[in-house]
Amino acid sequence: MTLLLMTRLLAAAVAVLLLLVHRVTPHDAELIVAGVAYTAGSLAVLTAVPRLQLAPAAWLADGALALALVAASEDWRSPFYVLMLTALILPSTGQSFRRALAWGLAFALAYLGVAVYTELDADTLESTIRLETIATHLMVPLVVVLALAYAADVLERLRDERLRSERLAVESERQRIAWELHDSAKQRVHAAHLVLSALQGQVDGAQAQLVGHALAELRAAGADMDTSVAELRTPLEGRSVERMLEQRAAELAPVSEAQITVRGTIGELPAHIAAHVYRIGAEALTNAVRHGEAEHVDVVLARNGSTATIEVRDDGRGLPAIRRPGSNGLRSMRARADTIGATLSLGPADGGRGTSVVLSLSTDPDPGSFTP
Amino acid sequence: MIRILIVDDHPAMRAGLTAVLRAEPGFVPLDAATSEKDLWPTLNRTKPDVVVLDYHLPGDDGLVLCRRIKRQVPAPAVLLYSAYAEAALTIPARLAGADGLVSKSAPANELYDAIRRVARGERVLPPISRELLDDAGNRLSSEELPILGMTIEDTPLREIASTLGVEPAEIAHRIDRMIKRLKIDVPAPRAAG
Repeated sequence: MTLLLMTRLLAAAVAVLLLLVHRVTPHDAELIVAGVAYTAGSLAVLTAVPRLQLAPAAWLADGALALALVAASEDWRSPFYVLMLTALILPSTGQSFRRALAWGLAFALAYLGVAVYTELDADTLESTIRLETIATHLMVPLVVVLALAYAADVLERLRDERLRSERLAVESERQRIAWELHDSAKQRVHAAHLVLSALQGQVDGAQAQLVGHALAELRAAGADMDTSVAELRTPLEGRSVERMLEQRAAELAPVSEAQITVRGTIGELPAHIAAHVYRIGAEALTNAVRHGEAEHVDVVLARNGSTATIEVRDDGRGLPAIRRPGSNGLRSMRARADTIGATLSLGPADGGRGTSVVLSLSTDPDPGSFTP
Repeated sequence: MIRILIVDDHPAMRAGLTAVLRAEPGFVPLDAATSEKDLWPTLNRTKPDVVVLDYHLPGDDGLVLCRRIKRQVPAPAVLLYSAYAEAALTIPARLAGADGLVSKSAPANELYDAIRRVARGERVLPPISRELLDDAGNRLSSEELPILGMTIEDTPLREIASTLGVEPAEIAHRIDRMIKRLKIDVPAPRAAG
């Protein structure tokens, strides 16, 4: 957009200057007004509604207006020629290389149409110099598109590459931390727990209570570490949320009384969000299987436009009136949902029997994509 | 007097175990080994009654090592000691010939008790549930199922071999393969379990 802003302002200034110093048509004053209005209007609209910068319809309208200006100046060697070229910037950078080239070709043909409409005649075609000029004028849009599309393509690839290497670096660091937690810290906690537990039965009264308390803390520390290790390894490594949930269901199946089904798809999600979504889904599934006393547990994933949902539904005994002591599963599910800006709702399932846990998440398209 | 050899790759765990076992009357912790490499010399030199064996070791895991230890004559009792002493380990542990399975998060008295019982020749393994058997059945071929069944019923290797009409060495080889297929993977680059 910055490129468009700069070049279009510059081209408009050149056009106005040319119209001022050189009499082109009998209605130069109107042309100046039209050129300034087009420049100011198009830039204002595109800045106010950034969505339009990526909309082919907007590109088409912009290009048509620019060509209209050229037509209005009654000569294909118009003072608005460069201004017209600026209408190629957005289409060149906002789509794939091939489509950008096609767009440039179509634009050059449209320009040829305008040239024929103005005063391209047999006379012009017979003069070598004039012929060379029209050929150049037709070539320039193609060259502009080619250069811009190539640059945009290279930039895009560079950006992808950088993102990928950043992701790799983060990933390997997470793996290292997970490994250290597990391989070293957790082994020490196990050892401390074991040594301390040897005191049980040898002390009594207040001391026994202290030992019991310390042991409970150590067990909790071990459990926390397990959670952390699992979380550090969460990146689903490119696997989809539904596949991971299916895998989780298969793991639970041997110990489950309930029939577990996983269906639907949630579509593409950014990696860190997908990881949280999976953990929430897996926790809900585990709870339904372990505590729900259900016959059926259904996991349904859905994607509707920009809204992704997961529902975990069971036909068991429903939510307990009193929280199970020591259960922080629900709390951590809520915390995760907050982290990714999703909403989590729990309630009785349809028909009043069992529990339904619904996670819903809005996945607006990433506004940070490349714009010139 | 029960003489115990510890095999664990983590120094804190080795030190902790040795200290705890030394504090208990009737137990004599011998040298601790860190891996298979120093296990054999230590085992041959000390002739322990019980080996407390870490499940996840660098290189070959505890199950493979357990099989090799149990092939010694006379074989010591082997107690698998794992951070993953989940029910899922029960069948692989049984196939590997382990006498016991204890979680690393269990308190010391549970460990003492398990050591005493395996030293007396008892088994300290969780019961094998219907679901576990079904799950194992899904992962094994139909030829392997009779071997699993007979192993669980404590049929000696020689008898299994003659029942199925194959060499005992072939049965041993098949059991190795079954263990590989049934064991749980520890999800770490090189986690000690």
